[in-house]
Amino acid sequence: MNTIRQVFRSAKFVTGFVIFIAIILLTILFPLFITYDPLDVVGNGNFYPPGTYISQKDTIKANPYELRIALKQSNVGDSLKTDELDKIKEWLTQYGGMGKSEVQDADAESLIVMWTDKYNPSKRFRGMLASEQKYYKRLNQKLTELLTDKDIIIAEQDENNELKEKSKVKSSDFVNLKEISNKRTLVLGTDNFGRDVLRELVSATTTSLRIGLIAGVVATAIGLTLGLLAGYLGGFIDDLILFITNLFTVIPSFVLLILISYSVGQKQRGVGLVALIIGITSWTWTTRAVRSQVISLRNRDHVNLSKLSGHSSFKIIMTDILPYIASYVVMAFILQVSSGILSEAQLSMLGLGPATTSTATLGLMMNWAMLYSAHLNGSWWAYFPVLFMIAMISFSLNLMNTGLDQVFNPQLRD
Amino acid sequence: MNGYGKYFGKKIGWYLVTFLFAVVLNFALPRMMPGDPVAGIAAQTTQGVTNTAAAEKIYKEYAEKFGVDKPVYVQFLKWAGNALRGDLGVSFSQYPRPVADILKSSMGWTLCLQLPAILIGWLLGNMLGAIAAYVKKGFDKIILPVFLFISNIPAFGMAVILLFIFSLRLGWFPSSGGYGYDLIPNFSWTFIRSVVAHYQLPFWSIVLTTIGAQAIGMRSMAIYELNADYVKYSRFLGIHDRKIVRYVFRNAMLPQITGLAMSLGTMMGGALVSEIVFSYPGIGTTMMAAIKGQDYPLLSACTLIITLMVLVANLVVEILYGLIDPRIKASQMD
Amino acid sequence: METYMLEVQDLRTKYVTRFRENVYAVDGVSLKIKEGKSIGIAGESGCGKSTLALSLMGYYFPPLHYISGDIIIDGKNISKLKPDTIRKRILGKEIAYIPQAAMNALNPTQKIIRFIEDVIHAHHPDATKKDIYDIACERFEILGLPRSVLEKHAVELSGGMKQRTVIAISTILSPKVLIADEPSSALDVTSQKMVIKMLRELMEKEYIKVMIFITHELPLLYNVTDDILVMYAGQIVESGTAKQMVFDPLHPYSKGLMGSIIVPEEGVRDHQLTAIPGTPPSLKNPPKGCRFAPRCPYAAPVCSSMEVPDIELPNGRHYRCLMSERKIREV
Repeated sequence: MNTIRQVFRSAKFVTGFVIFIAIILLTILFPLFITYDPLDVVGNGNFYPPGTYISQKDTIKANPYELRIALKQSNVGDSLKTDELDKIKEWLTQYGGMGKSEVQDADAESLIVMWTDKYNPSKRFRGMLASEQKYYKRLNQKLTELLTDKDIIIAEQDENNELKEKSKVKSSDFVNLKEISNKRTLVLGTDNFGRDVLRELVSATTTSLRIGLIAGVVATAIGLTLGLLAGYLGGFIDDLILFITNLFTVIPSFVLLILISYSVGQKQRGVGLVALIIGITSWTWTTRAVRSQVISLRNRDHVNLSKLSGHSSFKIIMTDILPYIASYVVMAFILQVSSGILSEAQLSMLGLGPATTSTATLGLMMNWAMLYSAHLNGSWWAYFPVLFMIAMISFSLNLMNTGLDQVFNPQLRD
Repeated sequence: MNGYGKYFGKKIGWYLVTFLFAVVLNFALPRMMPGDPVAGIAAQTTQGVTNTAAAEKIYKEYAEKFGVDKPVYVQFLKWAGNALRGDLGVSFSQYPRPVADILKSSMGWTLCLQLPAILIGWLLGNMLGAIAAYVKKGFDKIILPVFLFISNIPAFGMAVILLFIFSLRLGWFPSSGGYGYDLIPNFSWTFIRSVVAHYQLPFWSIVLTTIGAQAIGMRSMAIYELNADYVKYSRFLGIHDRKIVRYVFRNAMLPQITGLAMSLGTMMGGALVSEIVFSYPGIGTTMMAAIKGQDYPLLSACTLIITLMVLVANLVVEILYGLIDPRIKASQMD
Repeated sequence: METYMLEVQDLRTKYVTRFRENVYAVDGVSLKIKEGKSIGIAGESGCGKSTLALSLMGYYFPPLHYISGDIIIDGKNISKLKPDTIRKRILGKEIAYIPQAAMNALNPTQKIIRFIEDVIHAHHPDATKKDIYDIACERFEILGLPRSVLEKHAVELSGGMKQRTVIAISTILSPKVLIADEPSSALDVTSQKMVIKMLRELMEKEYIKVMIFITHELPLLYNVTDDILVMYAGQIVESGTAKQMVFDPLHPYSKGLMGSIIVPEEGVRDHQLTAIPGTPPSLKNPPKGCRFAPRCPYAAPVCSSMEVPDIELPNGRHYRCLMSERKIREV
């Protein structure tokens, strides 16, 4: 009880603990409020940027309010595509007599100013393909329409298939967002499959935490058992276990992880199995720590007393040894959880992650983003939140671990 | 035999045994899975192959390689013998290129990237950690939390962040590959410049990740040493602080060297994955291609090479350590 | 007027804990030692004797802080000097220290001779390596240490050898004052004897002028030092010659301390084995009045309210108790 109070006095531990609990609460509470399927395909294309999406039809149907607000011209620039802007740049340098440097870094707005200044639709340009001449004419048309405050006419088809004007949208017309029923805020946009990244992230965090937890439990169980056996029994068994532990410490666990994951085959690799594989390749640290602690405990007075009183080895281990190494085991466990989550992410990046279409993991999200080149086309929302989540989880766990370490090994205190 | 000889002999022997064990695992793991390995793996391999003759050939090659009708130890000896001669089989995904040929180039890229990056990251991290431990006030308060957080960003994460900032946003460095895609490797000035430019982001992403963890480890080691009895004693003999700091850092460095040996495998694993982010032509990217292409011979060769590299690096570190730390020599004397 | 090699007047120092609490571990200590004399300081663990050892050096770093008092070595008051000056001029040269845990006092990765070089260079920057080697060899030989130790690392030495090496290094510059904090406590009996023999030799050969020997084993001091001081809760409660202190302790605490010795050395009077009940008080808030009163079997109500003065007897003994000398002898 006293130790627990001491642990919670460590600023590092408390910070880590608070962050970790916040993440856990997020994974529990978020799905209660946002109930749709995390892997629901929301968008019909890849990587929609974050923002609020409102139904275009609804805005047209909605009741217009006339507001006297000067409209921002930059809207014009936004409605131009990048290739259109590139074309404008090309024209300006070739025919508009502008320098390359002037054009290169100019924003859409100033490009349009330059364009209206230089371009003359009735003029023909020498050495330009006819199709390109037409393209520039169309582009100019579009720009003029965007620039002039022309009303947009909404027309309906009547029974004779003729368009009949229904209403006009003036540039001073606004709609009230509250009156629009069909809207969706995608805080973190969508991923390559068109799924809501935020919702997916929360569900992936849950799964990854579960993987870390299973891996941690498995690794700690193996490590604890082997460490106790080696440390308490000593002799040949100790030599043997130490030998095996040393082997698996030096052979990179990463390599074993890949070999085993590959060998079990794509179809068998579920979330649970991946967690299990991570667990059985990462127990060596715990074994070492537990073994050395048990060896130092083995000849303590209270253990000898128990031995003399004829207690069974099992009972001695449970009552006279385990409580003393509990802090080390807990610390090792915390590290295992954090490294388990990281291992899953790395495996998934290599394409050896859980083969599942029903749940996402943090690693799989990274893998998908990578496969669809999110990192090359600037869709930061597809991977930064995932990275942040991985870093936060392992940051909080490591802080907790450092805090514990300082409480239990006071000479490390600063 | 003197203490050093005994120590080195023991270490080398131990690493040989470990390597042998790793080789056995490499051989055995895929074969331990249920089902007929030849049919299973060959079926996976020939999945995308439309040419039936090629598929047949692959199957036969596999059956021969595995030698399923022979006892296990014969299979192993044959496999190991081939591997020793540098014959690691033929790649499935890049058929008929031999695996050894693919690996030869990717191994060079990986070694040139990771060896300097990990070493420099380790050195810088230790220096920063030592400074943080010594200066403590202020400096320690800012630097430490920053490094604590940075050290928790996985290597591939650091890779993505650097890529986004310095390649996509600022356009200072190219985003992928080991050299310009329009170049053919040669010793021209353009090519070398391109290689250097492509080297920067993968290199720094590994360096930064390594720095964080090392700095934290070094800091706590140095703090531990600063509280050691010999520091107090040296102070009370009037020895100058500058000298004492030198003792402390030398001693704090020693466990960091063992730490390097212990975590080298993990560090390389992380660095291999960050290669993928940059499509760097090293083993990491090759390995991902092998997994994607269900190319078992290539994957198993990759893991074997990684193991070998980690083991050799570990051995070198441990031998250096034995030379530096007098305690090792002393412990071998009795 | 008599001259003293070391004179300490009303020294007060404190520890500041992690939780910013003040622990007054040395609370008004005064002592005087003449040239060629040695004193022993005895007391239970936690009574402040190790802190006193550190405080006497005049060099303070956190968590130890100086409050007030004077430390005068050979007529020179060092307690008003700047820390840097003390480090450069005093430590190792005028006043030297032998730490409690000599096991870890030597840098494990440094050869002994390299360390001696550093020690000498700190005070004589111009000394050449050869000079230092010669000095070290000579001193080691006189003190009965093999010359080969110089070329070894600390890890290669046994516990007793390490302790003797530490003593030789501490006194290599022939300091005036040597403070030895439990130099023999962690050693086996043979090594203990060798350490004590070595300390005596240092005194005889006048490599050191005065010695302060700190221990929790009072009888050990009888064979080693001229005078003995008993310390309790940050204060000196009694002082006298070794003989007086061992065979005729006055202060109830000194009596108890003699009584709690399990194996009295030969020649030491056979005290009845009795442990002192209770535990030393917390030095964060020392009790009012006599600090030993809560544990004292003879305590009267007045003991825990009145400040106890230091009483000097005609024969030079000091003690801190409200009872008169006669009354003490009666009880």
